Amino acid sequence: MNILKKLSYLLIVVVLIASCKDDDDNADQQMQPLGDYEHGILITNEGPFGSGTGTVSFISNDLSTEVSSVFNIENGSDLGNIVNSMGFNEEFGYIVVNNSHKISVVNRYTFEELAIIDTGLNNPRHFVAVGDTGYVSNWGDPNVSTDDYIAVIDLLTNTITSNIPVVLGPERMVTTNNKVYVAHQGAYGQNNQISVIDATTNAVLNQITIGDVPNSMVLNGTDLWVLCGGSPSFTGAETGGSLYRINTSDNTLLTSLDFQDIEHPGLLSVDGTSLYYALNGGVFKMDMSDSTLPSNSIITGFFYAMIAKNGMLYATDAGDFASNGTLTLFDLLTNTEVDSFTVGIIPGGIYFNE
Amino acid sequence: MNQIYTAISTLVLLCATPVYAQLDSLQQLETVVLTDVRLTTFSDGYKLQAVSDSIISKNNSLTDLLRDNTSIYFKENGYGMVSSPSFRGTNASQTAVIWNGIAINSALTGQSDFNALPVNAYNSITVRSGGGSVQYGSGAIGGSVHLNNELQFIEQRDTEIGLSCGSYTTPAAYFKSSVLGRAVSVVVGGSFISSENDYDYIDRKMKNENGEFLRFNANASVGFKLKQHLITWNSEYFYGDRSFSGSLTAPSNSAYNDISTRNLLRWRLEGNRFASTFKLAHLMEQYRYFPNRDRYAFNKGLANSYIAGYVFDYKAGKNIELSFDANFTRIEGSGDNLDHNARNNLAGIFLLKHRLTKKLSYGLNLRQELLNDFENPFLFSFDALLEVNKWYALKINGSKNYRTPSFNDLFWTDGGNPNLEPETSFQGEFGNVIKFGKLQLDLNAFYIASENLIQWRPNTSGVWSPENVSEAQNYGLEVSINYTRKFRSHALNFSSNYAYTKAINSEKNTQQIYVPFHKATGTISYAYKKLVLFVQSRYTGEVYTTTDNIGVVAASHIINSGIDYTFNQADIPITIAIKANNIFNTYYENVAYRPMPDRNFETSINIKF
Repeated sequence: MNILKKLSYLLIVVVLIASCKDDDDNADQQMQPLGDYEHGILITNEGPFGSGTGTVSFISNDLSTEVSSVFNIENGSDLGNIVNSMGFNEEFGYIVVNNSHKISVVNRYTFEELAIIDTGLNNPRHFVAVGDTGYVSNWGDPNVSTDDYIAVIDLLTNTITSNIPVVLGPERMVTTNNKVYVAHQGAYGQNNQISVIDATTNAVLNQITIGDVPNSMVLNGTDLWVLCGGSPSFTGAETGGSLYRINTSDNTLLTSLDFQDIEHPGLLSVDGTSLYYALNGGVFKMDMSDSTLPSNSIITGFFYAMIAKNGMLYATDAGDFASNGTLTLFDLLTNTEVDSFTVGIIPGGIYFNE
Repeated sequence: MNQIYTAISTLVLLCATPVYAQLDSLQQLETVVLTDVRLTTFSDGYKLQAVSDSIISKNNSLTDLLRDNTSIYFKENGYGMVSSPSFRGTNASQTAVIWNGIAINSALTGQSDFNALPVNAYNSITVRSGGGSVQYGSGAIGGSVHLNNELQFIEQRDTEIGLSCGSYTTPAAYFKSSVLGRAVSVVVGGSFISSENDYDYIDRKMKNENGEFLRFNANASVGFKLKQHLITWNSEYFYGDRSFSGSLTAPSNSAYNDISTRNLLRWRLEGNRFASTFKLAHLMEQYRYFPNRDRYAFNKGLANSYIAGYVFDYKAGKNIELSFDANFTRIEGSGDNLDHNARNNLAGIFLLKHRLTKKLSYGLNLRQELLNDFENPFLFSFDALLEVNKWYALKINGSKNYRTPSFNDLFWTDGGNPNLEPETSFQGEFGNVIKFGKLQLDLNAFYIASENLIQWRPNTSGVWSPENVSEAQNYGLEVSINYTRKFRSHALNFSSNYAYTKAINSEKNTQQIYVPFHKATGTISYAYKKLVLFVQSRYTGEVYTTTDNIGVVAASHIINSGIDYTFNQADIPITIAIKANNIFNTYYENVAYRPMPDRNFETSINIKF
C-alpha cells in the first residue's frame, strides 16, 4: 500500500515535471484528482456521548467506495468528542468538535490535518465562511445564557480575531450577501431569534423574532426559510412548530405557517422548488408556493439528519445511538430507497464534496 | 459457663437469628460473621462469597476490593469516578447493595455508585450471586453485595488506626474503636481519603485532569442487650466530593458532591421458638452536580426513604424454619429535574427453609407487593442444597426477580416516563462445591432471561425518554478456587475467580456493552511469621462499547503486589505495608477513552491497641 502511495507521488511529480515542459498542456494537471475524497458524500458522526471520538465517513458519488473513519486513517489520530458539524471554504474543511472545544482544519479532499484551532472556542457548534473570515457559533457554558458568541476566525492564520456576543443558543448559520444569519435554537434551553451579522463590521445588524427553537434554515434566492421545532412538552410551555420565510434583502418576515401545538418538525431542506422536513417519523414535502402544510408524509423513518439534493434524499438514522448508524438514499421521484450504507456512531451531518 | 454464654449470645447477635442458626458451612473464604439472617439461613442454594476483613482493611475503595476479588465488572469512568457494576452481565441497576439487611441503591438512579460507598466502615462484606428480589427487593438480579456491621457482646476494647499515603498525593486515614460489653456494645469509626488523582496517561503526553476526589465517612453501631431483648442502632454518614475527570478526547470541568446518611433501629425479642423483630430505617441521599466547577451553580437531587418493617421468625419444627416479613417503604424524591414525587410500597414476604434430611435442605420464598403505581409484582424463589458427601455438595436455585423504575426514569422532567413497568427476570443456577482438604472449588452455571429492560431513547418528538423495550439473555460459567495451607510459621493462601459471561441483547443478538466474556482474578499470599507478601492479578477480557459490537475496550492484565510487616512496640502491634499497583505499568481502560492509573504506590501504617 505504501509503495503504491509512493509510486503515485512519483507519478504526480513526473506529471508535474512533464507539464512544466509544455505550458500548453495544462489539461492533464487539472484532471488529477484533488484527493481520495473528492466527488463524494461526507458524513460527520458525533461519536458516542460522554467519551470516545467522532468520525467522518466517505461515500463516493458513484456509491462504489465507502471509507469509514476518514480522518483517523489519514492522520492517525482521533478527531475528538462529539463531532458536531463541518464547514467548508475553498479547499479547506473545518470540522467542529463540540465537546473537545476545537476545530480541526483539513484539506477537504485529502483530509490531511493542516491546523487545529483550540483556543477561544467554547462548545463550538457550526462553521461558515465569508471570504477569508470564518464564523463559529459557540454556546459558551451551556448552562449560562449570557455568554454565547460567534467566534470570528482569520482563515489565513486560523486564529480567532474577535468574538461577537449574541443571544442564547446560536446554532446553524447561513451566509448571503455579505451577511451571516444565525439561528438561535437555544442550546440546552429554547430561543426564538435570528441574528443577522454584517460580515464587514462583524456587528449584529438585526435581531428577528420568529417561532420557538429554530432548528434548520435553507436559502433560496433571497428567501431564507427557517423551520422552528417549537418548545417541547417537558418545558411546561409547549408550542408547536412553525415555518418562516424571511426576505434577506430587507430582513422582513414574508410568510409563516404554524404546525399543530404538539408537532415538532425539524431537518428542513430544499431541492428545486420543494421543501422537505421531518416530523413524527415521516418526511414531508411541500412546494415553496404552498399556503398550507402537507398532511401526508412521503417517506417513513426516524432520521437524525437529512438533505434533499438533485432529486435524491440523503437521510441518516442513528439507530440506538450506541452503535453505527446508516445513511439511506431515497429517490424523490418514486420516494423509494435506492441504497443504504453503514456510517459512524450518531451520524449528524451530511455534506457533499463536489 | 461464662464463655459458653458469651459464645452463644455472640452467635445470636451476629446472626440476628435464633440459636439454631449456623454459619454456612460452605462459605468460601474464612472470617465470616454475617448479620443478615436471610444470608445465613435462607440462602443455602446460593453462592456466597465473603470477603475477609484482612482484605477489607487493605483497600481504600470498594470498587477496587470487589474488582480484584470477585467476578463483578466495574465500569469506572476513570479512577475514583462514577463506578457501576455489571454482575453476571446484567446492567448497573441490577446489582443490589444491601446495608445491614436493607436495600440502599439510589432511589434516584436505581444504582449504587461503588465509589460513593465507604469500604472500611464494615467488618463483613459478602457477595451473593443470583436473584434475590424476594428477600431484598428491587435490583437483586445479577446478585447483591452485602455490607454489614457486626456487634459483639463480649468484654473487649480495642482501637485501630490506619494511615496511608499513596501516589498522586493521596492521603488516607481510618479509625475504628470498639467498646464492647455484655449488655452494651458500641463501635464507632470513620475514614477519610483524598487524592489529586492526576495520574499520567501511559504513552500519551496527558494527565488525568480534573479528577480529584475526596471521601469521608463516619459510622456508629450501638447495641443493648437485656434478657430476651436486643436493641441495635446502626448509623452511617458519607460525604463525597469529586471533580469528574476528562477523557482522552474531551476535557471536563464538572464536579459532583453527594451526601448520604443511613440509620437503622431494630428491636428484637426472642422466645423459645420464635423471634420477633421491629425495624425502622431512614435513608437519605442528596447530590449536587456542578456542570462548571468554577461557577457556583448546580443541579440537585434529594431522596428520603422511610422504612418500617416487622419480621416474625418461627421454628415450626426441628427442621423447619419460617420467616414472615412485612415491609413498608415510602420514598420521597425531589430535585431540579424531578419536581416532588413520592412512592409507597408494601411488601409481604414469606420464607421457608426445610432441612429434609441431614444432607438435603431446600427453601421456598415468596414476595407479594402492594400499593405500587405499576402492576404489583409477585415474586418467588426456590433453592436447595444437597451435601452428597464430605467433599461434594450441589446447590440449585431458581427465581423471578425485578427492578423497579427509578425516580429519574419516571419523573425526569425532560422525558421521564411515568408509565414504566419494572424490569423482570427469570433465572436459574446450578452450583457444585468440591472440597479436597484445604482446597475448595466452586463451579456455577447460571441463566438469566430478562425482559422489559428500560432503555432511554429519543421519542417521536426527539426527546430522550425511557421505555420498557429491551430483552436479554445472560448465561455463563464461574469457577472459584480457594486454597489455604499453614505449616509452622508459614501460611499460604491462593484464591481465584474466573467467569465466562454471555449477555445477549435479544433484539440485536449481540453481546451487551461493557460485559467481558472473560474475567479472572487471582491472589496469592504467603506469610512467614509477621511478614506477608502478596501478588494480585486481574485479567479483564475485551468489552464492547457499542451495541453493534464494533467498538471495543481492549483486554487488560493488571498485577498488583505488596508486602506487610507487623511488629510489636510496647505490646501494641504495628503493621507497615507497601503496595504497588499496576506494577508493569500497563495501559488500560474500563470505559473507552478513560485511561486508568499507571504504576503507583501506597504505603500505610496500622496500629491496634
